[in-house]
Amino acid sequence: MTAVTISRVERTFGAVHAVAGVSIDIRPGELFTLLGPSGCGKTTLLRMVAGFCDLDQGSIAFGDRRIDTLPPHRRNTGMVFQNYAIFPNLTVAGNVAYGLKARGVAGADIQRRVGRALELVHLDGYGERQPFQLSGGQLQRVALARALVIEPDVLLLDEPLSNLDAQLRLDMRREIRTLQQTLGITAIYVTHDQEEALAISDRIAVMRAGRLEQVGAPAAIYRTPATPFVAEFLGATNLLTGTVEALDGAHLLVAALGRRFRVPAAAVPTGSAVSFSLRPEALIPVEPGHPWATVTGEIAAAEHLGALLRLDVRLGDGPPLRVAMLDDGAVAPAPGRPITLAYDPARITVFAP
Amino acid sequence: MRWAVPSRSAFPLTVAVLAFAFLGLFLAYPLWKVLASSFLDASGMRFTVEAYAKVLSTGYYRSAITNSLLIGALTTAASIAIGLPMAFLLARMAIPGRSVLLALSALPLILPSFIGAYAWVLLFGRAGIVTQWLQGLGLPTTTIYGLPGLVLVFTLHSFPYVLLPAIAAVRAVDASIEEAGQNLGASRWRVFLTVTVPVIMPAVLAGGLLVFIETLENFGVPFVLAEDMPILAIEAYKLFVGEVGANPGMAGALAMILVLIAALALLVQRYYLGRRRFATVARSAPPVLRPGPLGRWLAGGFVWGVVLLAILPFVAIVIVALMKFRGPVMQSEMSLGNFEQLFARSHRPLYNTLGLATVAAIGASLIGIPIAYVLTRYRSTLSHALDVLAMVPFAVAGTVMGIGLILAFNSGWLVLTGGWLILVLAWLVRKLPFSVRSGSAILHQIDPSLEEASINLGRSPSWTFFRLTVPLMLGGIVGGTVLAWVTIVSELSSTVVLYSGPWSTMTVVMFRALEGQGAGAAAAAATVLIVATVVPLALVYRLLRRNNLAVL
Ligand SMILES: Nc1ncnc2c1ncn2[C@@H]1O[C@H](COP(=O)(O)OP(=O)(O)OP(=O)(O)O)[C@@H](O)[C@H]1O
Ligand SMILES: [Mg+2]
Repeated sequence: MTAVTISRVERTFGAVHAVAGVSIDIRPGELFTLLGPSGCGKTTLLRMVAGFCDLDQGSIAFGDRRIDTLPPHRRNTGMVFQNYAIFPNLTVAGNVAYGLKARGVAGADIQRRVGRALELVHLDGYGERQPFQLSGGQLQRVALARALVIEPDVLLLDEPLSNLDAQLRLDMRREIRTLQQTLGITAIYVTHDQEEALAISDRIAVMRAGRLEQVGAPAAIYRTPATPFVAEFLGATNLLTGTVEALDGAHLLVAALGRRFRVPAAAVPTGSAVSFSLRPEALIPVEPGHPWATVTGEIAAAEHLGALLRLDVRLGDGPPLRVAMLDDGAVAPAPGRPITLAYDPARITVFAP
Repeated sequence: MRWAVPSRSAFPLTVAVLAFAFLGLFLAYPLWKVLASSFLDASGMRFTVEAYAKVLSTGYYRSAITNSLLIGALTTAASIAIGLPMAFLLARMAIPGRSVLLALSALPLILPSFIGAYAWVLLFGRAGIVTQWLQGLGLPTTTIYGLPGLVLVFTLHSFPYVLLPAIAAVRAVDASIEEAGQNLGASRWRVFLTVTVPVIMPAVLAGGLLVFIETLENFGVPFVLAEDMPILAIEAYKLFVGEVGANPGMAGALAMILVLIAALALLVQRYYLGRRRFATVARSAPPVLRPGPLGRWLAGGFVWGVVLLAILPFVAIVIVALMKFRGPVMQSEMSLGNFEQLFARSHRPLYNTLGLATVAAIGASLIGIPIAYVLTRYRSTLSHALDVLAMVPFAVAGTVMGIGLILAFNSGWLVLTGGWLILVLAWLVRKLPFSVRSGSAILHQIDPSLEEASINLGRSPSWTFFRLTVPLMLGGIVGGTVLAWVTIVSELSSTVVLYSGPWSTMTVVMFRALEGQGAGAAAAAATVLIVATVVPLALVYRLLRRNNLAVL
């Protein structure tokens, strides 16, 4: 198990600041995810760790060994590429054996370790196949076996699932997670899919325009996003802006969308503007007169998504509020109907202006 | 922009340094000598522009410049006028024998142009077979010599430079672009003119500039057909070899003018057209047009006519070579006598050609492929400079290259004149742009992440290149080497300046035969060259179609 220390790394391409001063401490055995929109610098950062992209500034260390000055073939990282990068001129076993041969492992040893690695990814018996005889999911497993068999210090994965179809993606991500945990290997995982990141990671770094926006455990990042950007990127939310009307004990009273919301207290003076995030699933339809904090409005639109029911609820003015709930039939989602929504103020995140 | 090749490994840097050293010694240094000779007086000590003044004040040399430019321009225009409609017909219409036509359409480029010229003379020249036959029937004849013949032969040789990229461009126009135009209310014809043509025009003009450069530099065709019309590439050769006393200063001046014009055309091609290429990837190919019978006949007749006109003279020459000759007169009887006569004195030129071409072609690949690798995989200012330098031979006519090598290596610490190596070096350097471009084209089809995977798994960049990338490229490399070999075998312009003593080649034999000896031997020599061109091509055709034809 290896810790990875990334300190103040920077890289520009022409006028683009692809990575603009990023520091991360990745703990031994952790699956650490870089999450962010397209072009935010995730791949660049990962390739810096692998050695395929030079640093303008900063340093990277595995444990207490600085590695950013080493050429890529001496870094002992195992990389899984988005398009698999399976050598078409070698068999499956040849692909998996490639890194072992490069390390001068003895022939008998190679065979044993290749066999075990293929077993690990449920491809026992596929060793003599040619790559073109495999499906996308199987190729992905070969790529994984090939990266794991060399017992790398760090496993690097750049959107490894983006070429697979939806169901396979779910299975594979579980498999990757299980393997990573049983082998206890440190992994850096790049994705722009927030659901994937939340499901698989020990910790997540949300990136934006070459910088870190927030680092933390999935639940923490989802529940208490540090910035409006993180709140929006990690799934649908209601990002509201309003005016502070009063302080009431542990809560602020904020006027927004023609209603009054109760949000956790923050150091914001009365009369100033404040924005806050309210997740759709934190809003619960109730009978009027419910003891919780409530808002009232009328249903503007409804969508059935199988088990889920999504409502757009129009309050006073402005855009409608998004609401999501398990569809248990209790709410009749007829447009125009008045509805009362209750929420726990603790589930609202306030962003200091 | 970073100045060094990325520090990731010493491999690209090593390749770049070696390539710079090689090109510096065998390309830049000879060119420098030509440039220097054009600016030095007879004693070789003082700077003077006298040579240029003399060239530009002599009517004969001025008309050499204007003739070369005029022929280049007319050939370019004619090649576009033929190549563009042919591309449309071949890409969009169900012409009978379309796949055969596509296979044949690159052939004129590869067949030796001066042999094509000779074939036309053999058929339609003053003592030509067809001419005599027509005269025998009392019919009027026209001349094939001078401007019309030159433009005709050049056009039939080089129209594929326009045709091949134009076919690719027409195919890449997405049907939805044209449909969008029609949907917005434009007629089919209007859509063609306002949407399709502008999209494919950059590719066509880029091909046209190649035609221009190639025509400008060509030595063999005007040698056969120009008669007393002065042509730049030939006048430079004459002044250098000196039938009336060599004048290296003026030869250098003409050579530099030639290089300058070609370099300007190349720069326009690279920096103006190179950027204006529209990246369109056809998702849905436009429908194949099925015109009525008349349209089909006209279209088929046109396309087949051009291709046959370009290829049949070569067939004719092979037939003539197999006929019996009594003195200069052809008999109606087959015989191998011409070949016996050709090889009576010596087989040496044939062996020289085959052996030296092999060395040069393999050398071009050995040097060109690593350069291509560094250019495509390790972008940096240094590799950009290497890219430019490796394309320079393209702008240097063979005659000029030959003159430069002689000026650089006929005395001093490295003497190469009089041997075989200087021929090999000239050919190798001249084929290098092709090797580099064909190598890059192959590399673009190989996913770079394969190499990254190999390096990531612990193999060094040089190991990865030689043991993973090269095997993956192998089909393309073999095809490219064969193509280079085939064009080297029929290389004339630098050879004729550089050969000496025992190191003459088949093209030189052919060249000498043109100056007298009789049609039979010349046709036999031409046949040997044609066979040496067509047979290897046929053998590797499938490899070529996949990888190399696009970069001709
Ligand atoms: N080799 C390069 N040359 C020039 N610019 C580059 C290069 N590589 C990356 N960039 C730029 O750096 C920025 C970050 O790119 P990067 O590939 O790291 O993004 P990403 O977060 O992985 O995006 P995606 O989700 O689309 O893969 C982008 O603006 C990109 O255009
Ligand atoms: Mg990426």
